[in-house]
Amino acid sequence: MATKLFVRRRDGRVEVRLNDVGRGIVREVFAHVVAGERDPEHEWHLSLNPPINPSNDDDDPLSTLARQSETASNAELAVMTLQEQYLTDSEAWAWLSTLQVALRSTAVANGILSDEKLESAPEELLDEIHILQQFLFDLAGCF
Amino acid sequence: MPTLKKLRNATAENDLEQRVESDVSVDTERPWNVIVWNDPVTPMTVVVAVFKRVFGYSNNKCTHLMLTVHHEGRAIVWSGQRERAEAYCVKLQVAGLQSSVERDA
Repeated sequence: MATKLFVRRRDGRVEVRLNDVGRGIVREVFAHVVAGERDPEHEWHLSLNPPINPSNDDDDPLSTLARQSETASNAELAVMTLQEQYLTDSEAWAWLSTLQVALRSTAVANGILSDEKLESAPEELLDEIHILQQFLFDLAGCF
Repeated sequence: MPTLKKLRNATAENDLEQRVESDVSVDTERPWNVIVWNDPVTPMTVVVAVFKRVFGYSNNKCTHLMLTVHHEGRAIVWSGQRERAEAYCVKLQVAGLQSSVERDA
């Protein structure tokens, strides 16, 4: 039986059971989200800033600012807690949000917008997606 | 009879005001919907967890909404005032779900 990568403990904290390789992957993913949020030229920047109200030419600047700020805060909190074995509820949520943002950004940046596109994706990219999905599957089970 | 005329005018004005109020209230009562869109990579458990966290819905309601997104390509997950709809949409996007707002048809 496969060991779960994240487990909710009785005291409310979430235990991280990733080995060094797993933490290395997560570190790289979190760093990409931080870079994607800060750098307008980053391949993930557009997918991090989708329209809120597509019927308007421009979204409310306060809403877009709130999104940028919250996404960056989550990613930075996730980076700061990379070495922790036990995460608080908020820290675990920051991990989940950042991993999910990374998963969607990976898909969007590679044009994977349908099941058909996913099935025909290169094997290396599929591996990357499956690893992120496994992390997310176990972490989401803690909420 | 001046009194009756006044009363008629007053009644006509009231009617007009009521009609205007009625039109305005109909306009503002059209809610804004928060839409979540399907995507091919997000695990179902993540969608349920995000709905629970953002809206505080029951597990059953979250699962039902997630399945609607999965099968129909999109689901209205919340309806109401524009400002709140946009705030919820931002929270969903921050959590990595594809979402947008639109005015109810």
